[in-house]
Amino acid sequence: MPSSRFPIPQGTLDMLILQILSLEPAHGYGIAQRLEQISKSVVQVNQGSLYPALHRLEQRGLLKADWKESETGREAKFYSLTRSGQKQLRSEKESWVRLAGAVQLIFDEGAAQ
Amino acid sequence: MKRILNWFRLRRLESDLDRELQYHIDRRVTDLIHSGLPEPEARRRAALELGGTTKVREEVRDIWLTRWLRDFVHDLRFSARSILRSPSFSATAVLSLALGIGATTALYSLIDQIVLRALPVEHPERLVLIDWIGFQNAETFGTHNLMSYPICLDLQQQKQFFDGVFCRAATTINFSTGGEPRLTAAELVSGTYFSVLGVSPALGRLLTIDDDQVPGSSPVVVLSYDFWKNQFGGTQDIVGRKVLVNQHPMTIVGVAAPAFHGIDVGETPSVWIPAVMSAQSIPGFKTMLDRRTRWMQILGRLKQNVSLERAKTGLQPWFKSMLDEDTRRTNISRASPEQRRRFLASTLALTPAPQGHSVLRHDFSQPLWVLFVATAVLLALACLNVAGLFLARGSARHREISTRLALGASRGRIGRQLLTDSLLLAITGGLLGVAIAPIAVRALIAFLPHNTAATDLQANIDMRLLLFAFLVSLLTGFLAGGAPALQAGRKSLDSALRERGGTPSGGLALRRAIVTAQIAFTLILVIAAGLFVRTLSGLLLKGPGFDTSSLISFGIKPDLNGYSGAEESRLIRRITEGLRDSSNIQASSIALVQLLLGGAWSNSLTIQAQERYVTDREIEINAVTPGFFATLGARIVAGRDFNEHDALNVEAPHQSLPVSESGQRAVIVNEAFVKRYFGGRNPLGARVAMGASPGAKPDSEIVGVVENISYTNVREQSEQAYFPIGTELSGSNFYLRFRGTPESAFRSIRAILRNADPTLPISYFRTLDEQIDRSLNTERMLAALSSSFGTLALLLSLVGLYGVMSFVVTQRTREIGIRLALGATRVSTIWLVLRDALTMIAAGTAIALPCVWALGRLVQSQLYNVKPTDPITILAATLVLCSTALGAALIPARRAAAVSPTDALRFE
Repeated sequence: MPSSRFPIPQGTLDMLILQILSLEPAHGYGIAQRLEQISKSVVQVNQGSLYPALHRLEQRGLLKADWKESETGREAKFYSLTRSGQKQLRSEKESWVRLAGAVQLIFDEGAAQ
Repeated sequence: MKRILNWFRLRRLESDLDRELQYHIDRRVTDLIHSGLPEPEARRRAALELGGTTKVREEVRDIWLTRWLRDFVHDLRFSARSILRSPSFSATAVLSLALGIGATTALYSLIDQIVLRALPVEHPERLVLIDWIGFQNAETFGTHNLMSYPICLDLQQQKQFFDGVFCRAATTINFSTGGEPRLTAAELVSGTYFSVLGVSPALGRLLTIDDDQVPGSSPVVVLSYDFWKNQFGGTQDIVGRKVLVNQHPMTIVGVAAPAFHGIDVGETPSVWIPAVMSAQSIPGFKTMLDRRTRWMQILGRLKQNVSLERAKTGLQPWFKSMLDEDTRRTNISRASPEQRRRFLASTLALTPAPQGHSVLRHDFSQPLWVLFVATAVLLALACLNVAGLFLARGSARHREISTRLALGASRGRIGRQLLTDSLLLAITGGLLGVAIAPIAVRALIAFLPHNTAATDLQANIDMRLLLFAFLVSLLTGFLAGGAPALQAGRKSLDSALRERGGTPSGGLALRRAIVTAQIAFTLILVIAAGLFVRTLSGLLLKGPGFDTSSLISFGIKPDLNGYSGAEESRLIRRITEGLRDSSNIQASSIALVQLLLGGAWSNSLTIQAQERYVTDREIEINAVTPGFFATLGARIVAGRDFNEHDALNVEAPHQSLPVSESGQRAVIVNEAFVKRYFGGRNPLGARVAMGASPGAKPDSEIVGVVENISYTNVREQSEQAYFPIGTELSGSNFYLRFRGTPESAFRSIRAILRNADPTLPISYFRTLDEQIDRSLNTERMLAALSSSFGTLALLLSLVGLYGVMSFVVTQRTREIGIRLALGATRVSTIWLVLRDALTMIAAGTAIALPCVWALGRLVQSQLYNVKPTDPITILAATLVLCSTALGAALIPARRAAAVSPTDALRFE
């Protein structure tokens, strides 16, 4: 069933999490659902690696977490971006665009010949 | 850092993670049920998607702590449990490490305080001590690195090399705030002192250059912070208060910063006084501006970009021209050609002085380093012992380790576990060691001679010391656990598992090597102990050359109480009469300079016999009253003692010599003097003069020869000359022979003094036996500590040897049984085991002896009458070690001999 989708490239999961959280704070399950939506269309995310990634980002100070009441009324751990998380996302986006642009350029050159 | 913090809130993190994952699964299950799955299937799917909560949990934990830290925590728990399970093993290990670490830490504490610690001033690393190397042809007051005040003023002009230069001299003053005066430690300093050091005031102001201009014009003092707190209760209105320094009114202008205790460890001043007030602070001292009076240490602060070498070479032209100029100044032009040559050959030395200047450091740094090396050796021994214990236990835990290896533990992981064991033991030992260190420091301080050392040095444990102890413990742990850990990783697994229980052979070679090293270390320490004990006993046997029992000395300094010369001699006469009338006192006399204190009044003498010549060395000089030698019990071997007629004179003796009524001066020399300068011929009737200048008039007749007695210390045998004491004294040291107990004698003396002047403090009071003890403090410290180190070392290595031999015997029980069954005798069995021990002892000795030879130079100067390679000491030490070691090996050997062949063969 998952064969038609990309496996997620190394390190991209962190960027996706940061991107999702830049829109609004979310708990682990919420992030998982968002990832699921993305996964259905494009890439394949292993949910097992979500929580280690969240804790790694929190450890690095890119995310902060608070226990807050969720939409179901139960307490959940909500993650949000810290200032350095926002900076990290910006720089990752930039380098992503640059990389993609560079790769595109190489492809274009190949096509031109 | 965050990870280490995480360690402490691990429990909290775990429960949070559980809640978080639970939330995820619950939500997922609900969603899946909504989408139509049955609940059990939904639960299964939710768990599956997450890849198993246990695995997630593991991964997250690794993020929190990193893997090695988590393993370390586990190892630590495991180690703690295994250590608690074998209490006798652990107690032995911890105790021996604690002793080693405690002793090392204690010595480090003293070395740190006395030798290493930089002054608490700005950039202490740029401070240098400026010293005159060579012959200064000057009168000397004090010890070590002395120069005159005018030279300091000259150096202050050398602005291209120095940011500033200051000079200082330690002295004792009579300090009074209106009440009874007290003897107080003071430092006479140039006005640049505080500014060059960069010390700030805690209150008021410090001394400045303006306070140090015209002699006698700046009656101001600065107090030390501690003195202000203790003597004045830290009162805020201290500035401007009037005090009396030797009866001269002076004003307190400020208090120095709390951390600043002067520049001399061991002589902490309470009061700083400008050098221009030296005449007021040192009664009778009028030669501050004289270039031929050396009494101060000079220190400078190098400019930022000037190196020590550059300053040193840069200063030589100035120094040479100063020397030249000095030879034209009248007071040196009369020096003998030889002295002139030596004077002109002098050089100026600069040495780094970030720790300031200290006589205590000068005298004690070497003995302290010797002891530090000894404790390091002791600690190494303790390490080896613990390593041996570990190896022994490693053999016992052999099966456990093999099993763990078989179950897939990596060798590195097992080694790490063993290392954690030893680290935990070492840290525990270190903690215990830190607890005993202050006691050891206090005991060590008691050995130091200066009265002040007890107050200046601290037995507290500070951060530096804790860090030192921690590092030492860590090192100890690695050393003790390293070998066993490596050993654990080496052996092949299946051979280990195939071995029958009880006969593992792991690490025996290593254990033999360890015992050999222990024996080598021990022999070094025992030989050192032997050398120091022989030095001390040799010095005690030699003694000062007179009978010290029932001798007392005490001192007074009437001049500090404002006595004039005539008043002082009246006072002394009154005291002398009182002593003569006392039934407790058999005899009394006075000496100008105290005996056995390490210092002397010394000068060259010009001798006029058949020809005129100058002594090639400085002669130790004292001035005494008639009957001084009789009081000490020193024999006059030729001629006569002084009499009343010799003793009449006026001026203070260090300025000129006393003349008797007839204009005839008298002098008594000792046997060593006669031997050196008269070749044993009769010296009576020859004449001498103080000093070496061609203008010196030899007009003091040698009237007697006294047997050799100790003057500066028991060790040295010097040439001495005694002059009759002048009637104007500056300070007096009484020597009395008493009847009964020292206490009753003290009561009588106290009463006599109070009768003469109730406000006069006694500057010291002690029996000559005490004085000898004090003068032999270093020797006593070295002997006492090296003996206890030697004993401890012996004990540790005997335990080590015994352990290995017992192990060997157990291991070879079967073999021994077979030998016995085949007809070997008991004696040959004992020999079999002892031979093994002998090999280790011989190897240890062979390692130790070259080390003793190499280390000899370190202790050479501390020894008396015995060489570091003294064959008798080395032989005796080796014998002691060998016999006790063989004794320790004999116990397991006899057990081997007692093995019954049948039991041994059944033993499996």
